[in-house]
Amino acid sequence: MAHGFNLEVFENLRLELRRGCLILAVLGTLRSEQYGYTMRKSLAEHGLAVDEGTLYPLLRRLETQGLLVSQWREEDKRNKRFYRLSPDGEVILERLLAEWQGINGSLQGILGNKIPVEA
Amino acid sequence: MESLVDRYLQAVRFWLPKGQQDDISAELAEDLRSKMEEQQEGLGRELNDEEIATVLKQTGRPFLVAGRYLPQQSLIGPVLFPVYVFVLKVVALCYLLPWVVVFVGMLIFNASYRQGHSIMGHLADVWGTLWLTALTGFAAITIVFAIIERSQKQVKLLEDWDPRKLPAIRNTNQIKRSSSIAEIIANAVLALWWANGWASLVIFTAAGVRIVVTPVWSYLVWTLLAICVANIALAVANIVRPWWTQTRAWLRLALDAVGAGVFCVFLRSEVLAALAAPGLSSSQAATAVHAINMAMHSVFPLCVLLCVLIVAAADVPRLFRLLHGRSSGGSPVVGTTFAR
Repeated sequence: MAHGFNLEVFENLRLELRRGCLILAVLGTLRSEQYGYTMRKSLAEHGLAVDEGTLYPLLRRLETQGLLVSQWREEDKRNKRFYRLSPDGEVILERLLAEWQGINGSLQGILGNKIPVEA
Repeated sequence: MESLVDRYLQAVRFWLPKGQQDDISAELAEDLRSKMEEQQEGLGRELNDEEIATVLKQTGRPFLVAGRYLPQQSLIGPVLFPVYVFVLKVVALCYLLPWVVVFVGMLIFNASYRQGHSIMGHLADVWGTLWLTALTGFAAITIVFAIIERSQKQVKLLEDWDPRKLPAIRNTNQIKRSSSIAEIIANAVLALWWANGWASLVIFTAAGVRIVVTPVWSYLVWTLLAICVANIALAVANIVRPWWTQTRAWLRLALDAVGAGVFCVFLRSEVLAALAAPGLSSSQAATAVHAINMAMHSVFPLCVLLCVLIVAAADVPRLFRLLHGRSSGGSPVVGTTFAR
């Protein structure tokens, strides 16, 4: 196990790392109004695939925290729930983005050229 | 085709709080429909039952899907859980272990206990009572912790603490002077009592009651007196140099082992010779003496087992620690400290 790779540990850490980023991505996506399914597609197109069992509870939590507002509306003869950022959500998103950029900068300082560069 | 989706949504609704059932299932239904429509467009036809089942399976088991909408709940949260496990262990050790030791001891050494029942019968009786009590204890502790878990925010149990009240650094080789002083006092009292009684075989006489012991008593008293004196000497040495060394740990083990051995011999040696009391006939007194001697005799095996366990638990780990290099040979063993 000198160079062993514990997949379970990696997966748990990956999910932890992803959780915070996913909130940022969802808040960022909801600068414009969207409903759940299109939001999932949009996130997946940007490389952040998320299943409905994660996304919808997250949307509800963010709405309960006052960061999102939602409304049921008919579109293409079907009732859909549309979400968008609330004014509070916009403020908090800006602050979270600043925080994220700070963390990113710190990481670059700590890890230097060890950060893998995307091809 | 819809029926499979409807059954799925109904199963999800079952696990949701009543107030949110309609809202969540409507949103989930819309997501499933959108997903299936996209697949249908790709295939150019309606999805069959198997394909719908695949979509639903990918979505997840209904209770898992519903569970993600619910707030995280636990009877005892991660903060209190280590304390909860610690308390369970302590209770198990203090309650279950003595139970098991007594049961095994009785089964091995007590012939009358073995008679009449098979071992399996005994096990069924004992474990029946044991597990009922153990489960009651487990339930009580769990309920108490569940209550603390729910009230911790109110009582501020976790925030209300003082670092200055933390226990002092535990040094397992350090000998508390107060313990040594207590040992000296206890052994001195015992020694005085033994010294006072060794010369006579009449160990008690008052208000018409007279207890006479056999000559073997003198040997027991001398041995116990010697052990008391040795204990006092060891305690004095421990006051002067209050940390364990291999020599003193061996001495402690030897003294405790001899003391336990003498006590066990005392139980087996039918030491009571005669008994007299007002209103007690000589035949009744003889019967009482025999009964007392037999009672002491019968508890002998159990006492041997308990003595071995007590000495093993009290003295052997210390000696083991010292023999395996965790001693600094005559100076106190200092643990990792954060020196300023």
